[in-house]
Amino acid sequence: MITYLYAVGRDLERVPDVGSGGVGGGALRLVGEAGLQAVVSDVDREAFEDLDAHREDLAWLASVARAHHGVVEAVGRAHAVAPLALATVYLDDDRVRAVLRESHEAFTAVLDRVDGRDEWGVKAYVRPGAARAAAGERPSSGAAYLRARRDALRAGDAAVADAEREAEAVDAAVSALAVESRRHPPQDRSLTGRTEQMVLNGAYLVDRSAAAEVRALVEERSRTGSIDLELTGPWAPYSFAGGAA
Amino acid sequence: MSERIEIDKDAVRRDLMKLVLTIVELLRQLMERQAIRRVENCELTEEQEEDLGTALMLLSDAMDELTEQFGLTPADLNLDLGPLGPLLPRDR
Repeated sequence: MITYLYAVGRDLERVPDVGSGGVGGGALRLVGEAGLQAVVSDVDREAFEDLDAHREDLAWLASVARAHHGVVEAVGRAHAVAPLALATVYLDDDRVRAVLRESHEAFTAVLDRVDGRDEWGVKAYVRPGAARAAAGERPSSGAAYLRARRDALRAGDAAVADAEREAEAVDAAVSALAVESRRHPPQDRSLTGRTEQMVLNGAYLVDRSAAAEVRALVEERSRTGSIDLELTGPWAPYSFAGGAA
Repeated sequence: MSERIEIDKDAVRRDLMKLVLTIVELLRQLMERQAIRRVENCELTEEQEEDLGTALMLLSDAMDELTEQFGLTPADLNLDLGPLGPLLPRDR
Protein backbone atom coordinates (compact mmCIF):
# COMPACT_ATOMS: atom_id res chain seq x y z
CA MET A 1 0.00 0.00 0.00
CA ILE A 2 1.11 3.55 -0.70
CA THR A 3 -0.28 6.90 0.45
CA TYR A 4 -2.52 8.93 -1.84
CA LEU A 5 -2.53 12.65 -1.03
CA TYR A 6 -5.74 14.54 -1.81
CA ALA A 7 -5.41 17.95 -0.25
CA VAL A 8 -3.66 19.97 2.41
CA GLY A 9 -5.27 22.23 4.99
CA ARG A 10 -4.18 23.86 8.19
CA ASP A 11 -7.12 23.79 10.57
CA LEU A 12 -8.51 20.35 9.85
CA GLU A 13 -9.54 18.54 13.01
CA ARG A 14 -11.46 15.62 11.64
CA VAL A 15 -11.34 13.38 8.65
CA PRO A 16 -13.80 14.78 6.07
CA ASP A 17 -17.09 12.97 5.87
CA VAL A 18 -17.17 11.32 2.46
CA GLY A 19 -19.66 8.50 2.20
CA SER A 20 -17.79 6.43 -0.34
CA GLY A 21 -14.32 6.95 1.13
CA GLY A 22 -11.27 7.74 -0.94
CA VAL A 23 -9.82 6.32 -4.15
CA GLY A 24 -10.65 2.61 -4.34
CA GLY A 25 -12.91 3.00 -1.29
CA GLY A 26 -9.96 3.41 1.08
CA ALA A 27 -10.52 4.97 4.52
CA LEU A 28 -9.43 8.61 4.77
CA ARG A 29 -6.86 9.66 7.36
CA LEU A 30 -5.21 12.88 8.40
CA VAL A 31 -1.43 13.16 8.48
CA GLY A 32 -0.31 16.20 10.45
CA GLU A 33 3.04 17.96 10.46
CA ALA A 34 4.25 21.48 11.09
CA GLY A 35 0.77 22.89 11.57
CA LEU A 36 -0.52 21.45 8.30
CA GLN A 37 -2.76 18.45 7.75
CA ALA A 38 -2.76 16.24 4.71
CA VAL A 39 -5.86 14.26 3.82
CA VAL A 40 -4.69 10.84 2.65
CA SER A 41 -5.79 7.28 2.14
CA ASP A 42 -4.04 4.03 1.35
CA VAL A 43 -4.19 2.92 -2.25
CA ASP A 44 -3.04 -0.15 -4.10
CA ARG A 45 0.59 0.30 -5.00
CA GLU A 46 0.50 -1.51 -8.32
CA ALA A 47 -2.33 0.59 -9.69
CA PHE A 48 -0.36 3.81 -9.26
CA GLU A 49 3.14 2.58 -9.92
CA ASP A 50 2.57 2.32 -13.63
CA LEU A 51 0.36 5.29 -14.35
CA ASP A 52 1.15 5.20 -18.05
CA ALA A 53 -0.59 1.87 -18.31
CA HIS A 54 -3.78 3.52 -17.05
CA ARG A 55 -3.58 6.62 -19.16
CA GLU A 56 -5.94 5.17 -21.72
CA ASP A 57 -8.20 3.51 -19.16
CA LEU A 58 -10.84 6.20 -18.98
CA ALA A 59 -13.12 4.29 -16.62
CA TRP A 60 -10.31 3.90 -14.10
CA LEU A 61 -9.24 7.53 -14.46
CA ALA A 62 -12.82 8.68 -14.03
CA SER A 63 -13.26 6.69 -10.84
CA VAL A 64 -10.02 8.14 -9.42
CA ALA A 65 -11.03 11.65 -10.46
CA ARG A 66 -14.49 11.30 -8.90
CA ALA A 67 -13.08 10.04 -5.60
CA HIS A 68 -10.38 12.73 -5.60
CA HIS A 69 -12.89 15.46 -6.33
CA GLY A 70 -15.32 14.15 -3.70
CA VAL A 71 -12.68 14.32 -0.97
CA VAL A 72 -11.37 17.75 -2.00
CA GLU A 73 -14.90 19.20 -2.12
CA ALA A 74 -15.76 17.71 1.28
CA VAL A 75 -12.67 19.30 2.84
CA GLY A 76 -13.24 22.57 1.01
CA ARG A 77 -16.79 23.01 2.28
CA ALA A 78 -15.60 24.07 5.72
CA HIS A 79 -11.91 24.88 5.35
CA ALA A 80 -9.38 26.57 3.17
CA VAL A 81 -7.91 23.79 1.11
CA ALA A 82 -4.99 23.30 -1.25
CA PRO A 83 -5.99 20.49 -3.60
CA LEU A 84 -3.19 18.31 -4.93
CA ALA A 85 -2.98 17.18 -8.53
CA LEU A 86 -4.82 14.01 -9.44
CA ALA A 87 -2.93 10.84 -8.51
CA THR A 88 -0.35 12.39 -6.19
CA VAL A 89 1.09 9.44 -4.28
CA TYR A 90 3.91 8.96 -1.78
CA LEU A 91 5.57 5.79 -0.58
CA ASP A 92 4.32 6.19 2.99
CA ASP A 93 3.05 8.68 5.58
CA ASP A 94 6.60 9.64 6.51
CA ARG A 95 7.19 10.93 3.00
CA VAL A 96 3.96 12.96 3.25
CA ARG A 97 5.20 14.48 6.53
CA ALA A 98 8.48 15.35 4.86
CA VAL A 99 6.62 17.10 2.02
CA LEU A 100 4.50 19.07 4.51
CA ARG A 101 7.68 20.11 6.27
CA GLU A 102 9.67 20.97 3.15
CA SER A 103 6.85 22.74 1.33
CA HIS A 104 5.42 24.37 4.41
CA GLU A 105 5.87 27.87 3.05
CA ALA A 106 4.41 27.09 -0.35
CA PHE A 107 1.36 25.39 1.17
CA THR A 108 0.86 28.24 3.61
CA ALA A 109 1.04 30.75 0.77
CA VAL A 110 -1.56 28.80 -1.23
CA LEU A 111 -3.86 28.46 1.78
CA ASP A 112 -3.57 32.18 2.50
CA ARG A 113 -4.40 32.94 -1.10
CA VAL A 114 -7.44 30.68 -1.36
CA ASP A 115 -8.90 31.24 2.11
CA GLY A 116 -12.46 32.53 1.83
CA ARG A 117 -12.35 32.21 -1.95
CA ASP A 118 -13.64 29.78 -4.51
CA GLU A 119 -12.69 28.92 -8.02
CA TRP A 120 -15.22 29.66 -10.74
CA GLY A 121 -14.95 28.59 -14.34
CA VAL A 122 -16.18 30.55 -17.34
CA LYS A 123 -16.35 28.89 -20.72
CA ALA A 124 -17.38 30.71 -23.85
CA TYR A 125 -18.59 29.17 -27.09
CA VAL A 126 -19.22 30.57 -30.54
CA ARG A 127 -22.98 30.88 -30.69
CA PRO A 128 -24.46 28.34 -33.11
CA GLY A 129 -25.98 29.87 -36.17
CA ALA A 130 -23.67 32.87 -36.13
CA ALA A 131 -21.89 31.40 -39.14
CA ARG A 132 -25.03 30.22 -40.86
CA ALA A 133 -26.99 33.43 -40.74
CA ALA A 134 -25.84 34.31 -44.25
CA ALA A 135 -27.32 31.16 -45.77
CA GLY A 136 -30.72 32.23 -47.07
CA GLU A 137 -32.79 31.05 -49.99
CA ARG A 138 -31.45 28.84 -52.70
CA PRO A 139 -29.04 30.62 -55.03
CA SER A 140 -30.42 31.27 -58.50
CA SER A 141 -27.26 30.38 -60.41
CA GLY A 142 -23.92 28.64 -60.08
CA ALA A 143 -22.10 31.94 -59.76
CA ALA A 144 -24.54 33.11 -57.10
CA TYR A 145 -23.97 29.86 -55.23
CA LEU A 146 -20.21 30.38 -55.19
CA ARG A 147 -20.66 33.95 -53.98
CA ALA A 148 -23.02 32.81 -51.23
CA ARG A 149 -20.56 30.13 -50.13
CA ARG A 150 -17.70 32.62 -50.13
CA ASP A 151 -19.71 35.00 -47.99
CA ALA A 152 -20.71 32.19 -45.64
CA LEU A 153 -17.09 31.09 -45.21
CA ARG A 154 -15.99 34.66 -44.58
CA ALA A 155 -18.87 35.25 -42.18
CA GLY A 156 -17.89 32.07 -40.35
CA ASP A 157 -14.28 33.19 -39.97
CA ALA A 158 -15.44 36.63 -38.90
CA ALA A 159 -17.88 35.11 -36.41
CA VAL A 160 -15.08 33.14 -34.76
CA ALA A 161 -12.82 36.20 -34.68
CA ASP A 162 -15.64 38.29 -33.18
CA ALA A 163 -16.37 35.60 -30.62
CA GLU A 164 -12.70 35.49 -29.63
CA ARG A 165 -12.62 39.24 -29.18
CA GLU A 166 -15.77 39.18 -27.11
CA ALA A 167 -14.37 36.33 -25.02
CA GLU A 168 -11.29 38.44 -24.27
CA ALA A 169 -13.54 41.21 -22.99
CA VAL A 170 -15.50 38.79 -20.79
CA ASP A 171 -12.24 37.37 -19.44
CA ALA A 172 -11.03 40.87 -18.59
CA ALA A 173 -14.32 41.79 -16.90
CA VAL A 174 -14.43 38.63 -14.78
CA SER A 175 -10.72 38.96 -13.97
CA ALA A 176 -11.41 42.44 -12.63
CA LEU A 177 -13.79 40.91 -10.07
CA ALA A 178 -11.42 38.06 -9.26
CA VAL A 179 -8.34 37.92 -7.08
CA GLU A 180 -6.52 35.86 -9.65
CA SER A 181 -7.27 34.31 -12.99
CA ARG A 182 -5.92 31.60 -15.25
CA ARG A 183 -6.58 30.79 -18.86
CA HIS A 184 -6.73 27.12 -19.66
CA PRO A 185 -6.46 26.03 -23.28
CA PRO A 186 -9.88 25.80 -24.92
CA GLN A 187 -11.16 22.25 -24.82
CA ASP A 188 -11.73 20.05 -27.80
CA ARG A 189 -15.26 19.31 -28.96
CA SER A 190 -14.89 15.68 -27.91
CA LEU A 191 -14.42 16.84 -24.30
CA THR A 192 -17.08 19.51 -24.20
CA GLY A 193 -19.65 17.40 -25.99
CA ARG A 194 -20.75 20.55 -27.80
CA THR A 195 -20.46 21.16 -31.49
CA GLU A 196 -19.70 24.85 -31.07
CA GLN A 197 -16.10 25.95 -30.86
CA MET A 198 -14.85 26.96 -27.41
CA VAL A 199 -13.18 30.37 -27.36
CA LEU A 200 -12.57 30.85 -23.63
CA ASN A 201 -11.74 28.44 -20.83
CA GLY A 202 -10.98 30.65 -17.85
CA ALA A 203 -10.59 29.92 -14.14
CA TYR A 204 -11.07 32.66 -11.59
CA LEU A 205 -10.30 32.81 -7.89
CA VAL A 206 -13.13 34.83 -6.43
CA ASP A 207 -13.87 36.11 -2.92
CA ARG A 208 -17.06 34.48 -1.63
CA SER A 209 -18.49 37.97 -1.21
CA ALA A 210 -17.98 38.69 -4.91
CA ALA A 211 -19.47 35.45 -6.22
CA ALA A 212 -22.91 36.96 -6.79
CA GLU A 213 -21.32 39.74 -8.81
CA VAL A 214 -19.51 37.28 -11.03
CA ARG A 215 -22.71 35.32 -11.56
CA ALA A 216 -24.62 38.47 -12.45
CA LEU A 217 -21.88 39.62 -14.82
CA VAL A 218 -21.77 36.33 -16.69
CA GLU A 219 -25.56 36.19 -16.94
CA GLU A 220 -25.71 39.72 -18.22
CA ARG A 221 -22.96 39.20 -20.80
CA SER A 222 -24.56 35.97 -21.92
CA ARG A 223 -27.90 37.70 -22.43
CA THR A 224 -26.63 40.80 -24.18
CA GLY A 225 -23.58 39.41 -25.97
CA SER A 226 -23.27 37.18 -28.99
CA ILE A 227 -21.35 34.28 -27.43
CA ASP A 228 -22.68 31.52 -25.21
CA LEU A 229 -21.22 31.63 -21.71
CA GLU A 230 -21.16 28.83 -19.20
CA LEU A 231 -20.38 29.51 -15.54
CA THR A 232 -19.33 26.61 -13.32
CA GLY A 233 -18.53 26.57 -9.65
CA PRO A 234 -17.90 27.11 -6.91
CA TRP A 235 -15.00 24.70 -7.12
CA ALA A 236 -12.13 23.99 -4.80
CA PRO A 237 -9.24 26.14 -6.06
CA TYR A 238 -7.75 23.47 -8.34
CA SER A 239 -6.25 25.97 -10.74
CA PHE A 240 -4.66 28.11 -8.04
CA ALA A 241 -2.91 25.58 -5.83
CA GLY A 242 0.02 24.95 -8.15
CA GLY A 243 3.60 25.20 -7.05
CA ALA A 244 3.10 23.75 -3.58
CA ALA A 245 4.04 20.12 -3.96
CA MET B 1 -29.82 -15.97 -35.55
CA SER B 2 -30.33 -14.87 -39.14
CA GLU B 3 -31.97 -11.70 -37.84
CA ARG B 4 -28.87 -10.84 -35.87
CA ILE B 5 -26.62 -11.16 -38.91
CA GLU B 6 -29.00 -8.94 -40.84
CA ILE B 7 -28.72 -6.18 -38.20
CA ASP B 8 -24.94 -6.38 -38.19
CA LYS B 9 -24.92 -6.11 -41.96
CA ASP B 10 -26.95 -2.93 -41.74
CA ALA B 11 -24.57 -1.46 -39.21
CA VAL B 12 -21.60 -2.30 -41.41
CA ARG B 13 -23.32 -0.81 -44.43
CA ARG B 14 -24.16 2.35 -42.54
CA ASP B 15 -20.62 2.74 -41.18
CA LEU B 16 -19.13 2.18 -44.61
CA MET B 17 -21.51 4.72 -46.12
CA LYS B 18 -20.57 7.17 -43.39
CA LEU B 19 -16.89 6.77 -44.22
CA VAL B 20 -17.48 7.12 -47.96
CA LEU B 21 -19.66 10.19 -47.48
CA THR B 22 -17.10 11.72 -45.15
CA ILE B 23 -14.41 11.44 -47.80
CA VAL B 24 -16.72 12.78 -50.51
CA GLU B 25 -17.71 15.68 -48.24
CA LEU B 26 -14.06 16.48 -47.56
CA LEU B 27 -13.31 16.55 -51.28
CA ARG B 28 -16.41 18.61 -51.95
CA GLN B 29 -15.39 21.22 -49.38
CA LEU B 30 -11.84 21.34 -50.74
CA MET B 31 -13.11 21.76 -54.29
CA GLU B 32 -15.49 24.46 -53.16
CA ARG B 33 -12.74 26.42 -51.45
CA GLN B 34 -10.49 25.98 -54.47
CA ALA B 35 -13.28 27.25 -56.74
CA ILE B 36 -13.88 30.27 -54.53
CA ARG B 37 -10.17 31.03 -54.55
CA ARG B 38 -10.05 30.82 -58.32
CA VAL B 39 -13.05 33.13 -58.67
CA GLU B 40 -11.42 35.62 -56.36
CA ASN B 41 -8.20 35.49 -58.37
CA CYS B 42 -10.21 36.03 -61.57
CA GLU B 43 -8.84 32.83 -63.08
CA LEU B 44 -12.19 31.74 -64.48
CA THR B 45 -14.34 32.94 -67.32
CA GLU B 46 -17.94 33.77 -66.46
CA GLU B 47 -19.07 30.58 -68.13
CA GLN B 48 -16.59 28.43 -66.20
CA GLU B 49 -17.60 30.10 -62.97
CA GLU B 50 -21.25 29.38 -63.66
CA ASP B 51 -20.59 25.72 -64.57
CA LEU B 52 -18.35 25.13 -61.58
CA GLY B 53 -20.82 26.79 -59.24
CA THR B 54 -23.74 24.81 -60.58
CA ALA B 55 -21.82 21.54 -60.30
CA LEU B 56 -20.85 22.28 -56.71
CA MET B 57 -24.38 23.30 -55.83
CA LEU B 58 -25.79 20.06 -57.24
CA LEU B 59 -23.12 18.08 -55.43
CA SER B 60 -24.04 19.84 -52.20
CA ASP B 61 -27.71 18.97 -52.72
CA ALA B 62 -26.82 15.36 -53.48
CA MET B 63 -24.76 15.18 -50.30
CA ASP B 64 -27.64 16.51 -48.24
CA GLU B 65 -29.98 13.94 -49.74
CA LEU B 66 -27.59 11.06 -49.23
CA THR B 67 -26.75 11.92 -45.64
CA GLU B 68 -30.44 12.21 -44.85
CA GLN B 69 -31.20 8.94 -46.58
CA PHE B 70 -28.69 7.12 -44.40
CA GLY B 71 -29.93 8.79 -41.25
CA LEU B 72 -26.75 10.82 -40.83
CA THR B 73 -26.22 14.46 -39.94
CA PRO B 74 -23.46 16.75 -41.24
CA ALA B 75 -21.80 16.41 -37.83
CA ASP B 76 -21.49 12.64 -38.37
CA LEU B 77 -19.39 13.24 -41.46
CA ASN B 78 -16.37 14.33 -39.55
CA LEU B 79 -13.47 12.24 -38.37
CA ASP B 80 -11.73 13.24 -35.19
CA LEU B 81 -8.02 13.19 -35.98
CA GLY B 82 -7.05 13.64 -32.36
CA PRO B 83 -4.34 16.27 -31.96
CA LEU B 84 -4.82 17.34 -35.58
CA GLY B 85 -8.41 18.30 -34.84
CA PRO B 86 -11.43 17.41 -36.91
CA LEU B 87 -10.96 16.33 -40.52
CA LEU B 88 -13.41 18.90 -41.85
CA PRO B 89 -12.37 22.35 -40.72
CA ARG B 90 -15.74 23.59 -39.55
CA ASP B 91 -19.32 22.54 -39.51
CA ARG B 92 -20.39 24.35 -42.56
